[in-house]
Amino acid sequence: MCPTYLTALCHHITRACPRGPSLTHHDLHLRVSLSSYKTMASENEIDSKRTLHTVSMASSDKSPGPTPDYDGQKPPGEPMTMHQHILDKGAALMQSLKPIKQMKQHVCTFALYSHDMSRQIETHHYVTRLNQDFLQCAVYDTDDSNGRLIGVEYIVSDKIFESLPLEEQKLWHSHAYEIKSGLWAYPRVPEVIVTAKPELELENLAKSYGKFWCTWQVDRGDRLPLGAPALMMSPQGVNLGMVRPDLVQKRDRKYNISTEDMKKVRTEIEEPEWINPQADYWKQHGKGFAIDVEPTEMKKIAPFP
Amino acid sequence: MSTAHPEVPGDPTQMGTAILEKTTAAIQGFGPTNKIHQHLCAFHFYSDDMSRQVEAHHFCGHQNEEMRQCLIYNSSEADARLIGIEYIISEELFMTLPDEEKPLWHTHEFEVKSGVLFMPGIPGPIERQDLEKVCKTYGKTIHFWQIDRGDNLPVGLPQIMMALTRDGQLYPNLAQDVEERYGISFEKERENRAYMMGPEKGIHPLANAAGKGLKTNLRETECKPVDAVPRVFV
Repeated sequence: MCPTYLTALCHHITRACPRGPSLTHHDLHLRVSLSSYKTMASENEIDSKRTLHTVSMASSDKSPGPTPDYDGQKPPGEPMTMHQHILDKGAALMQSLKPIKQMKQHVCTFALYSHDMSRQIETHHYVTRLNQDFLQCAVYDTDDSNGRLIGVEYIVSDKIFESLPLEEQKLWHSHAYEIKSGLWAYPRVPEVIVTAKPELELENLAKSYGKFWCTWQVDRGDRLPLGAPALMMSPQGVNLGMVRPDLVQKRDRKYNISTEDMKKVRTEIEEPEWINPQADYWKQHGKGFAIDVEPTEMKKIAPFP
Repeated sequence: MSTAHPEVPGDPTQMGTAILEKTTAAIQGFGPTNKIHQHLCAFHFYSDDMSRQVEAHHFCGHQNEEMRQCLIYNSSEADARLIGIEYIISEELFMTLPDEEKPLWHTHEFEVKSGVLFMPGIPGPIERQDLEKVCKTYGKTIHFWQIDRGDNLPVGLPQIMMALTRDGQLYPNLAQDVEERYGISFEKERENRAYMMGPEKGIHPLANAAGKGLKTNLRETECKPVDAVPRVFV
């Protein structure tokens, strides 16, 4: 069965990539060789003191050490080989990928780093609903197919938020301003669908709270995901929370939408009666948050590494 | 200790909401997530506590030949919880990381060679073609939802996770549970993968938390005073 499958896959890929080389079964023949583990090469000489004792801190608010300069905007690394494309295609045909199919919405919005709110980014959320009160989002830096995965955001209803301990609430942000101002947008979806009353989508979202961890600080030029995860905050209607107009304009031009117009349409959406003051912590307390990664004793049940 | 499936508080999804989402799913573009083509199953443990182990379902897409980015869920079902992220890079890319960064990354050599990391539903010979490459890679895994301690919501700080590096670390019952569910044998697969090789230069000594543990802590930072920032918006 396997060789037949491989042959069929070769044909499929060759048809799909007419300009590529035509592949034979031989190309995919499994290489089998008997070799043993490679032990650590002697050329890999690292000062032993350094390896054992000095694991430096990584912090979300500190710039990482230098990495080589790469040309252009693409992440470093060789382009995908034909072989890898085939493996990928094969996997996609045979695996069901159910959780990914549950992503039903694309939201374009903006976020700010809690430790430096002058750093603002456009974000692309791919949203999965677990129930009426809970959403989980995979966040990317663009909606292109080569978008970089930059973090995860969780969104909960006000009901759930109120049940969280005070210390936890500090890590969350409110969505009312972001929604009502039109910053939170659904590319390609007519606004009338999103604001339709029976669905109450935006009205519920306006009362929700989010927790957003950013794992790849692409806006500071990181070519690879470096450092500790950073806590993000949402746009707000006052000073530090205001999103720079040029960012909004750029977004609006790309999607041929008008944030101003969406704001007008959304004036009818009810403001939440109350926004918990623990959320958007910077507003009341003037403080942001950073994450530090520090060395510690690992609790072990077997030798490590 | 076993992989939990947290009961997330909240009301069931309303009909109207579900219909709206069907609509958006049909109209909108899903560029980055359409590139997610692989499902990989493996185990992670917390970088400060090996006794806390989690079955991790990775859904991966290639950025290019040398880098993958994965969403991590607690299961492969439709109602799976999104619990973390993993980035997987080639040895070449790993070597370009600053030394302070390298400890946050772990190796995949043992997981792959022991059979414990696998691609559900993919026939062995095909799976091995990809895993040969994965064997040489390094990964950075961050979890946001500590389901193993019974959290029914993603509370707390992000956790750096580590991967298995030798026999004796993985709880036998976790392993057995996966083997039974997927009808596989890690031992058998280990034999099939004996030919595979890890990183060309060997496992970097700074990887895998440089052999220690890692912990994340929260620190408050100063914001510019809210009123002091003069912003002019035209």
